[in-house]
Amino acid sequence: MSLITNVMDHSLDDGYAEAATRKRAAGGTGGLPNTLRARLVLAGGLVLAALVVTLGAAQTHVAAPVVAKERQELIDRIDRETKDADRLQGDVDALRDDVGERQRVALRESGGSAGADLVGMLSGATAVHGPGVKLVVDDAKEADSGDGGTNPRQTADFSDTGRLRDRDLQRVVNGLWASGAEAVSVNGQRLTALSAIRAAGDAILVDNKPLVPPYTVLAVGDGQRLATRFQDGADGLYLHALEQNFGIRATISAEGDVRLPAAPSVIVRTAQPSTEKTEKGTS
Amino acid sequence: MIAVLGLVVGVVAGLLVRPEIPAVMEQYLPIAVVAALDAVFGGLRAMLDGIFDDKVFVVSFLCNVVVAALIVFLGDELGVGAQLSTGVVVVLGIRIFSNAAAIRRHVFRA
Repeated sequence: MSLITNVMDHSLDDGYAEAATRKRAAGGTGGLPNTLRARLVLAGGLVLAALVVTLGAAQTHVAAPVVAKERQELIDRIDRETKDADRLQGDVDALRDDVGERQRVALRESGGSAGADLVGMLSGATAVHGPGVKLVVDDAKEADSGDGGTNPRQTADFSDTGRLRDRDLQRVVNGLWASGAEAVSVNGQRLTALSAIRAAGDAILVDNKPLVPPYTVLAVGDGQRLATRFQDGADGLYLHALEQNFGIRATISAEGDVRLPAAPSVIVRTAQPSTEKTEKGTS
Repeated sequence: MIAVLGLVVGVVAGLLVRPEIPAVMEQYLPIAVVAALDAVFGGLRAMLDGIFDDKVFVVSFLCNVVVAALIVFLGDELGVGAQLSTGVVVVLGIRIFSNAAAIRRHVFRA
């Protein structure tokens, strides 16, 4: 407290008191300066003081709009670029659809035979339908308490055991193939020979598109038999264990007719077909 | 009269010339402003007390500004610039307040 008391008591510079004592000793009087020199010195000091205060105020007033302007410009740029990116993404999607459509048409025109249809179906280039199973897998109830399970990207908990992970979905899809599925789609994404199921953060990605739970896996195959074989197989048991231990919700049902869309695009960039005779037997 | 003229000249010069303040000095300006205000209020009070001295005023003003800037500079170098700035502002603020209170007593006798 003594520090504050000191500051309060000596708020006036001690120099004034000393100067006054000196003056009184010399016989002068205190108060305003009366010689020209003293007045000029005082004026000079006041000029400096006013200059500093004015500069401080001016600096703040000049700097504030500049900072705000730069900020606004940055925001505008971000908005603009985001809009551009969105537009380009839309273009990409439209073009991809176009390419896929043309590919399918070309395939139909050039092939025409049963072989081309078979290749199209197997590669996922054409939409298919037929009897099959519908498998709905969802995260455990408590796992999606955060945001209703609508956006896996927003949850930060990486080790949450109530969540279906990419490797679980891989095993499920693998089990369906192994049980005789002829075509598989996950949340409307047709799986092709080039599809990858992987994770980014907490989201499962199929062909680099993030999925939102619940995950609906559609498989074309021999309906009830496919379902039974899957459930009896190792991967069906694995899914069952997930249900039992972690509360993952899964329902499998045989459907009379499931419709699977075509894959957005089936593009092979580097592989070339081998035309040598020795290789022909493998195709 | 000359003193008032000096005040006006200072304000006008600051507004008209508006010199570019180097970026290095920019962060010391607010502290310098507070120090300058402290000196001005101190001078005003001394004048009302009848013990004003022009030399003391000018020297104390210059010294306050320089010392305040130095303290902040030192704090910046040591990584406690913000805290030291706060300290300087608190001390000078208390001085300004009590000087203002003294001036008020002189002017309003209350």
